[in-house]
Amino acid sequence: MASLFVMQGRDRGKRFELPAELTLGRDGSNLIQLNDSEASRQHARVRKEEAGYLLTDLSSSNGSFVNNEPVKERLLKTGDRVLLGRSLMLFTDTQEHSSQNLAHEVDIVGELHTTGSRILKSVSQDQSEVFRAPDSADSPWLARARSNLQIMYRTALAVSHTLDIDQLLHRIMELIFEWVEADRGLIMLSSHETGELEPAVSRNRKGTKPDEKLSVSRTILDYVLQHKEGVLTSDAKDDERWDPANSILKLGVREAICVPMQGRYGIVGVIYIDTYTAPGKLPLRTPNKFTEEHLKLMVAIGHQAALAVEDTSYYSAMVHAERLAAMGQTIATLSHHIKNILQGIRGGSYLIEEGLKGSDQDVIRRGWRIVEKNQERISSLVLDMLTFSKDREPELIAADLNETVSDVVELMQIRAAEAVVELAWQPLANLPMFTFDPELLHRAILNVVTNAIDACEKQDGAEVAVSIEYALGDRTVRIVVSDNGAGIAPDDIKKIFSVFESRKGARGTGLGLPVSQKILREHGGDILVESTLGVGSKFVLELPALAAEDSKVGKTIAS
Amino acid sequence: MPSSVLVVDPSAENREVLRTVLHQRGLKIYEADEATSGLALAREHHPDVIVLDLDAEDATSGPLQLQLRQELDRESSSLIILGKLRTGSPLPAGHTLSKPYHFAPLVHTIQELAAKAA
Repeated sequence: MASLFVMQGRDRGKRFELPAELTLGRDGSNLIQLNDSEASRQHARVRKEEAGYLLTDLSSSNGSFVNNEPVKERLLKTGDRVLLGRSLMLFTDTQEHSSQNLAHEVDIVGELHTTGSRILKSVSQDQSEVFRAPDSADSPWLARARSNLQIMYRTALAVSHTLDIDQLLHRIMELIFEWVEADRGLIMLSSHETGELEPAVSRNRKGTKPDEKLSVSRTILDYVLQHKEGVLTSDAKDDERWDPANSILKLGVREAICVPMQGRYGIVGVIYIDTYTAPGKLPLRTPNKFTEEHLKLMVAIGHQAALAVEDTSYYSAMVHAERLAAMGQTIATLSHHIKNILQGIRGGSYLIEEGLKGSDQDVIRRGWRIVEKNQERISSLVLDMLTFSKDREPELIAADLNETVSDVVELMQIRAAEAVVELAWQPLANLPMFTFDPELLHRAILNVVTNAIDACEKQDGAEVAVSIEYALGDRTVRIVVSDNGAGIAPDDIKKIFSVFESRKGARGTGLGLPVSQKILREHGGDILVESTLGVGSKFVLELPALAAEDSKVGKTIAS
Repeated sequence: MPSSVLVVDPSAENREVLRTVLHQRGLKIYEADEATSGLALAREHHPDVIVLDLDAEDATSGPLQLQLRQELDRESSSLIILGKLRTGSPLPAGHTLSKPYHFAPLVHTIQELAAKAA
């Protein structure tokens, strides 16, 4: 699944999964709408082609940039940083990574000497202060690596917010292969349950045959875990290295680096990379491909990777905990509402019983009306729960918005009359047909109107006015519901769209407005609220004005 | 003089049920949908029985409950609580119904307490 994650800008933290084609811009008609004054209304388009996702700049005022280069069109690869206006986004596409069962590809071997390797060097985390500013003593390679590490840190952090450890580890592995000439790489994580190291992600450099099973020495792993040091190993015997007549020339040399992933709270796992030098291809100047500099860099990477993984796990745990808490809250509030409905049904049934005993038609009728009302409430509650919990794709058809709103107003007349609230509605003349899901939008508008009626129920001269705003050429069409009720405090405005935050005295279930917001957002629109305490509130349901001919769905036109 | 009942309940439906049935049984009813005006009604009309739904606004307020307690003691009125009373509340917990309750037992208790006061 490809995605864009916003690292900088007003929308920071948002992550968008990319469909086959989409546009980005300031406007509500874009799939990815950026709250960015420096982004053009229609800034860029991303389309999935055979080779991958193609970014095209749509003649934006400030231009589109990929990795700091201005682009007209660019095929995106994982890790690319896309800048539109002030919004910096990270593109990832993990389709190339299929999940693999690595258990049969990796061997943890008992004895060190079985692999013939010995430890050449070991480096602890504090010895590897790769994050400090580069100085003249550093080789150009290391200097570049140091500055790259800053980017890697930020990138890894950004990816860690996606909550997907797998994606994160793949990304880290890619970065490692970019900087270090390894042939094979392996990241192992400590299992939460057993504490044992388990292979998580492995990679082979293109062109090398993954024929051999990757053997990692248990001894090395234990050493790394125990001493919390990274080690550089080689299976070449010291004395043999410079002797041309020896076995190395026939067998080649395998060097490896194994580093701990040490986070804030402990060891999260290990990273292992190795490289194989074929016989006769020994590098002339240095005896090893992997040097101490590589080791230092890998130790630093191990540390950053651990922090990122911890962030991910922590994040997952936190989000999970928050969801549980929200669920708990949700269930508590739900049961409160259901209890009230049950009480209503008991009351109505009791009146019916009493009425039957005394053959009093009037009492029976009253009781029945109460039972009916509560049936309606349960039905509403269930419908809202279903709408809220499903991630439903709106069934877009060409429809008449005036008609949809009229239906809602007609339905609500009785309730308004009972609450002694005047419900005013005027269809908009010459309104074109638009593309939307009339059933869903009906629900959305109904909930907002219900809320408005409830808000001004006890007021003198209570009035709810419903209207449509649209001028030819507008990008959105707006359904406006105003009431002269008590109004909403500025702090509460955010809360009203949060699930199950039912204000005291409100007859609703607290689900109505969140459901409406969800429906409008599923259409690519939103709900805006303006309110003054003691005066009233205005709810504006903004819907992208997709004219009927624009409809890409091509379904039958509603009659 | 007929016995009287004060019903403090935010639910218009519950009030309607009680009003209908108690009226048939010859009782006078006063209604309030929140506790502050309920207390005012109690002070004005001295009902024999007060039915208090704890979900009513201010019904769980400490000062209000204290004042209500004083009124109950002063007039020797009975109190029926709908809901769960917090421990340490000044209100008498002698007659409590947890929600959701059945109306028949509630009406029965109201009638009994009203008769006792007469």
